[in-house]
Amino acid sequence: MDDRTPCPAPTGGPSTPRVLGRRAFLEDVLLLSGGAVVFLAGATAAAPAAAAEGAASAPPAAEGYQPWEHRWAYLVDPERCIGCGSCVRACSAENHVPDGFFRTWVERYVTGMDGTSVDSPNGGKDGFPALQVAFVATKSFFVPKMCNHCRETPCIQVCPVGASYRTPDGVVLVDGERCIGCAYCVQACPFGSRFLSPETHTAEKCTWCYHRITRGLRPACVEVCPTGARAFGDLRREGDPVRHAIEHDRVAVLQPHLRTEPQCFYLHLDGEVR
Amino acid sequence: MEHARHVFRAALVVLVLLAGVGITRGFLVPPTYGLHGPYRWANVAEQMSARTPAHRGPAACGTCHEDELRRRAAGAHRAVSCEICHGPLLAHVAADGRVTAPQVDRSPALCARCHRKVLGRPAAFPQVVLEEHVDGPLDAGACLACHDPHAPTP
Ligand code: SF4
Ligand code: SF4
Repeated sequence: MDDRTPCPAPTGGPSTPRVLGRRAFLEDVLLLSGGAVVFLAGATAAAPAAAAEGAASAPPAAEGYQPWEHRWAYLVDPERCIGCGSCVRACSAENHVPDGFFRTWVERYVTGMDGTSVDSPNGGKDGFPALQVAFVATKSFFVPKMCNHCRETPCIQVCPVGASYRTPDGVVLVDGERCIGCAYCVQACPFGSRFLSPETHTAEKCTWCYHRITRGLRPACVEVCPTGARAFGDLRREGDPVRHAIEHDRVAVLQPHLRTEPQCFYLHLDGEVR
Repeated sequence: MEHARHVFRAALVVLVLLAGVGITRGFLVPPTYGLHGPYRWANVAEQMSARTPAHRGPAACGTCHEDELRRRAAGAHRAVSCEICHGPLLAHVAADGRVTAPQVDRSPALCARCHRKVLGRPAAFPQVVLEEHVDGPLDAGACLACHDPHAPTP
């Protein structure tokens, strides 16, 4: 298995024998001036490319997984979170997240009548240190965060090449092969969920561990969370605990006024949380 | 006759242009693009097999370490996944079955990540002020001298 590459791009194993990358081609095209030359390049390059594209639609690794049969949703209970950062470490190990970047992170909110302090040292990866605040703190809690897999996504809307998309099972993904690294989506996301990978130079973000959930496993962060602060469920499944909680409990989403329709729901969310 | 030739030439130019556009477009737009929306559908399958799941859960660890699993299930750490302290299973047992030593961190820093008293933790969660709780230096093994991490008692 190809465990080193953080995205299924060029070296993706036998299933993607892409001869000439789209980016490489675009670069070539820019170098060549004049339409006629472009056509010639297109005509000569078309034959091997066509042969390679046929093999690109390889059978899925998760045999029999039907995206249309699922609608994933995420449930966070901040009251349970102890800020141990196990989720952040698991995510980084599972997805080879580059150091200093985060697909998921944990924030600490400390509030009082006279102020609010928010900190997230190294994304909460090493846990949280003791903290002194300059005001009288009356409540404090942790808030795990990640991509909300919004239904109305600004990030997909701004992508100029169709590299960002939402799957039928409700997961927002980035096609590392199409992504040109313009970072429009990084700026467009109001939740700071995306980053440009210094390794692949393409946009990356939480995928809800798409390689796991399509095999019947839970996302790595949910798998390790010792307190059950993180839960993952299927809205299409009758009797799913996450679906039940979203339907019957008091849940909120982050920044609802932006109407991005996040699919990460938070139980009993404090109004301070942005 | 003369005019017909002009028309034919113009038509030829248009045809060549169209063919050029078609070929270029066929190359730039991948075959599975647009199948279920404005994105490359083949990428969904690629994302499914992008990597081997690294975290497998305590049950998987239990296939070899049955005793530890049973001890853990009876203690206060029953909800704490083995992989939190020992790292992902895939780093211990590779996909080809090769086994490398898992991480074993005996430092109080590991315990402190959950149990050190810091602002933010729910009050009901067991936590201590390390410096007051431990009499002596906070060396490796300081917590383990009294607490069994697999089935701790308070
Ligand atoms: S949280 Fe940001 S990156 Fe994720 S879907 Fe919403 S807008 Fe896009
Ligand atoms: S693993 Fe669970 S309890 Fe620990 S920081 Fe993450 S969400 Fe909070």
